Amino acid sequence: MLYVENLKKSYMVGGQPVEVLKGVSLQLAQGEFVAVMGPSGSGKTTLLNGISCYIAADSGQITLGGEKLADLGEEALAKVRNEKLGFVFQDFMLLDGLTVRDNILLPRIIAGGVDDEGERYADQLCEAFGIGHIKGKFPAEISGGEKQRCAVARALMNHPLLILADEPTGNLDSKSSRTVIETFLQARRELGATIFMVTHDSFAASFCDRVVLLKDGTVSNQLSRGGDSRGAFQDRLLGAIREMSGGDGDAVLA
Amino acid sequence: MRSWRDLDRTLGRQGRKNDLLLLLCCFGSVLLITAYVTIMRSPTVLTVLPEGGDSRKQVMMIFILAVIGCGAFTTYASGLYFRAKSRQTGILMALGASRFQLRRMLYRDVGRITLIACAAGALLGTPLAWGLWQLFRLLVVDSEQMRLTLDPQAYLFALAFSLFVIVMVFLMARRFLRRANIIDIVNEARRSEPIREVKGWYGWAGLLLMAVGGFLGYMAPGFFVTQLHWYPPEGLTAIFYAPLFVGLYMVLLHTVVNGWRRGRSRYHNLIPNSMMKFQGRQTVRNMLVITVLLAGAYFASFYAPMLGTGNALSMEERPVDYAYHYRADQDIPQEGEVRALAEDCGVTITSWAEAPMARLAVDGMEHVETEGTLGTTWEAVYQERQRSELFLSESAWNTLAGDHLDLAPGTVSGIFDRNGNGNGVFTDQITLVTNVVTGETLSVTPAEGQKHDMLFGRFILDDGDYAAITQGLPEIWREEMIFFNVENCEDTYYFAKALFHEIVDRSGEEVEVYDAWDPVVRQRDLEEEGYYFLDPDQLERFGFTTIDYDQRDSSEFRNYWAYMPQFRVLDQNDFIRTMAVFLMLFLFIAIICFAAVLVIAYTRSLTVALTGRQMYEDLGRLGASKRYLRKTVRSQIRRVFFTPSLVGTAAIYALYAMIMYFNGDPLGWTPDEFAGMGACLLVVAAGSGVLYGFYRFTRRKVYAMLGI
Repeated sequence: MLYVENLKKSYMVGGQPVEVLKGVSLQLAQGEFVAVMGPSGSGKTTLLNGISCYIAADSGQITLGGEKLADLGEEALAKVRNEKLGFVFQDFMLLDGLTVRDNILLPRIIAGGVDDEGERYADQLCEAFGIGHIKGKFPAEISGGEKQRCAVARALMNHPLLILADEPTGNLDSKSSRTVIETFLQARRELGATIFMVTHDSFAASFCDRVVLLKDGTVSNQLSRGGDSRGAFQDRLLGAIREMSGGDGDAVLA
Repeated sequence: MRSWRDLDRTLGRQGRKNDLLLLLCCFGSVLLITAYVTIMRSPTVLTVLPEGGDSRKQVMMIFILAVIGCGAFTTYASGLYFRAKSRQTGILMALGASRFQLRRMLYRDVGRITLIACAAGALLGTPLAWGLWQLFRLLVVDSEQMRLTLDPQAYLFALAFSLFVIVMVFLMARRFLRRANIIDIVNEARRSEPIREVKGWYGWAGLLLMAVGGFLGYMAPGFFVTQLHWYPPEGLTAIFYAPLFVGLYMVLLHTVVNGWRRGRSRYHNLIPNSMMKFQGRQTVRNMLVITVLLAGAYFASFYAPMLGTGNALSMEERPVDYAYHYRADQDIPQEGEVRALAEDCGVTITSWAEAPMARLAVDGMEHVETEGTLGTTWEAVYQERQRSELFLSESAWNTLAGDHLDLAPGTVSGIFDRNGNGNGVFTDQITLVTNVVTGETLSVTPAEGQKHDMLFGRFILDDGDYAAITQGLPEIWREEMIFFNVENCEDTYYFAKALFHEIVDRSGEEVEVYDAWDPVVRQRDLEEEGYYFLDPDQLERFGFTTIDYDQRDSSEFRNYWAYMPQFRVLDQNDFIRTMAVFLMLFLFIAIICFAAVLVIAYTRSLTVALTGRQMYEDLGRLGASKRYLRKTVRSQIRRVFFTPSLVGTAAIYALYAMIMYFNGDPLGWTPDEFAGMGACLLVVAAGSGVLYGFYRFTRRKVYAMLGI
C-alpha cells in the first residue's frame, strides 16, 4: 500500500549539505502497524515528513495507494494529505479555538464540508476512543492523553489509507501513552487503519507488527513481531537496538 | 461547525486580538503620517517655509524619517501577525487545506484589517492635525497667520502611504503562504531569531561611524559647492549620512548581542540578555526605528528653544531700544514727530542719534551657473559691480555707535554682530566701491572689523572717502539710520506699535521689498535676463510670498521687509506671534514623532513580554521569585526604551552641537548658541521625563499581563 524506494534527502547546515536520508526503502501493507526507531539524527522525522508530503525529497519514489507522490502538483498533494493521510503529532497540533469535536471534524471541513453522516462518524470516534464526554471542551481544558486521542480520532476522520504518527507518546505519561497506543490498535482492529509511527519508545513500538530501525539515514534492521508476546518482542527490539548502537541500547532510547 | 465558512468565522473570533494588534499598528502609522502630511502640505505652513529653504528641508527630512519609521513599524507588526497565525495555518495545511483555501482566508482577513485601518487612519489624520493645531491656537499662540488651511493634495501622500501599507501586508501574506515547508510554518511561532556573531569592536566602530557619517553628511554639500563648484542633487549628498545609520545599527546590534558591561558577571543578566539576543533582528530593527524617530522628535523640538533663546538674548543685548532706517526719498517720521508721538503715549525719549548711509556698488566674485549633465556647476567671475552694500562714514558710525573710530583713507571696515559673526561680511573681498549714478570709483583695502548688532552687515569708510564717493548720489540710493532710547522700554509697547504702523503706512510701494532686494543685482539681471527674481511681480513665480504692507504682522514681513524697524519691546512681545507658524509646526512634528516612538516602544515591550510568557512561567516553576521575574522583565523593557533613547538623544544633540559649531563664521559656539543648547537640554530633560513616565506605565502593564 505504501512503497518508499531509495529515498534521499539532504539539508544545508552552516552552508554545507548534510545527507539525512541516504536511500531509504521500505513498504507497508494494508492494515499494518509499523514503527520506525533510531537515534536522534537518524532521519526518522525526515522520512515521515517526506511521506507526509511536508517536504520534497531530493530523489527516490514514494507510492501511496498506487499514486506516485512526486508526480503530484501542490493542490493534488493537499488532497492526498486531506483524504489519504491522517496525522498525529507529538504536540497534538489541535487548534486551541475549536472544541474537541470541531477539531475532529476539521479534515472533513477542509475536504468540503460536514454532513450528518460526518457528524455521526465524529461522535462514533469520540465514543470509541473514550472522549465522548469531553467533545464540547476546548484543548486547553483536557489532559495530554485526551488531546492525543482527539488527534487520533481527527486522523481517522476522512478514512485515510495511512495514519502517520510522529512521536505520538513523546509528551505523555506512561498511562496516557498506553491509552494512545491502544487507540491505534483499536483503530487498526475496528477500522482497518494502516499506521506508520515514528517513536523513541521501545514500549510503544513493541505493540507494532514490525519495527524499522534507522541509523545514519539508512535502514539498519527490520524486526517483525511474528507470534511473539509483546514483552518478548520488546526484549528482542532492545537487543537489536543495543546491537545497532554498538552494545549500548540505553543510549539510543535516551 | 460544518463548513469552511463556519471554521473561518470561528477562527476569526479566536484571532481577534491578533487582528486588533495589526489593525491598531497600521491605523496608528497611517494616522500619524496623514496628520504630519496634512500640516506639512498646508498652505498655512508652506507660505512661511521658503521653497528650498532650510526649514522646509528639515520638515521634509523628518517626514522621510517618520515614513521610514512608520513603514518599518507596520512591517514589524505584520510580521508579528503572521507569526501568530503560523501555527493555525500550518495545522490546516498539514491536514490538507490547499493554499488556495488558505490564501482566500488570509487575504480576506488582511484585506479587511488593512482597509479599515488605512481608511480610518487617513480619515482621522486630518481631524487630528486640525485639532492639535486648534489646541495650539487656543493654548499657546494665535495669530492671523495661524489660521489653518488645508490642501487636498495632502491626501495623495496619505493615500500613497496607505497603499504602501496594504501592498506590504499583502506581499508579506503571499510570502508567508508561499513557504514550501509546512514544518517551518508550524514552528514559526516558536522559532527564535539567532543573530550572527557580533564582534566586540562593533560598538566602538559603530560610534566612530556615526560620528564620521554625521560629519561627512553635514559637510559634504558645502564641500561640493565650495571646492568642486558643483551643486549636486540633494539625494547624492544625503548618501554621505549613510555611515551614520550603519554605525547606529552596529551600536544597537552590539548593545543587544554583546552589551557594554564586559566586566560584570555574565550570569548577572543571563535571562534578559539571552532573550534579547534571540529576538535579535526584531529588537535591533525596533530600536533603530525608535532611535531615528526620537532623533527626529528632538530635532524638531530643538527649533523653538534654539530660536527663542537666541532671539531673546540678542534682543536683550541690543545696544539701543529703538532703531529704524528708511530710504531718503521716503516720508518717514522724523525726530519731532517721533517725540510728539512718544509724548502722546507717555514715553520719554532719553537719547536720539541719526546718521546717513549710502548704497554703493562693490566688486566681488559672481557665481555664474551652468546646467550640465551632472547638474549645476558654477564658476566665479570677477565683477566690478557685483552687488550693493550700505556704507556709513566713520563720523556716522561714531555718532550711532558712540565710538571714536578713525579709518585711514582708502580702507573699509565691515561691521560684524556682537559675537563676531560675519554672515556675508567679507571686507577682504571688497577692493572697489562704485557710485552707480556718477560712475565714480574708490579702491579700498580691508581694515579691522567693528561689532554692532544693529548695524550688522554694513561697511564704514573714511569721512573723506565717503564724501567723495557719495557725491551726486540721489536720495533713492541714500538711507537714514535712527537710534533712540527710552525710559522703561518694556512699558512702551503701544508706542512701539504705533510708530511701527506709522512707518509702514508712510512707506511707498517702491520700498515694499525683501531685504535681499538689491538694485545693482536687479539692474544687471534686467539687462541679462529681462527680469529680477525679487521684484514683486516675480516673487510668486520663484515660490516667495510677497512682502505686503497689509500683512505687516506676518512672519514674512517682520523677518524679511527691507526696512523693518528693530524695536526691542515690539520684537520681544511679538516674537512668538511672529514665529507662531514655525514654532507650532516644529512642535507639531515633535509631538507626532514622540507619539510614534511611544506607540512603537509600547508595542515592542508588550510583544517582548508575550514572546517570553512561557519562559516566565517556567522560571516561576523553577522557583524564581516575583521580584526576580519583575527584574527580568524590567531589564528587557528598559532596553527597549532606554537604549534607543540614549543613543538617539545623544546622537541628535551631538549633531545639533556640530551644526551650531560649523554654522557661523568664524567657527565655534556663540553665547546665543550656548544658551540655546542649554535650553535644548531642558527639552531633552522634559522629553526624557515623559519617556521615563511612559516606561513605568508600560512596565506596570506588562507585569499585569504576565501576572507577576
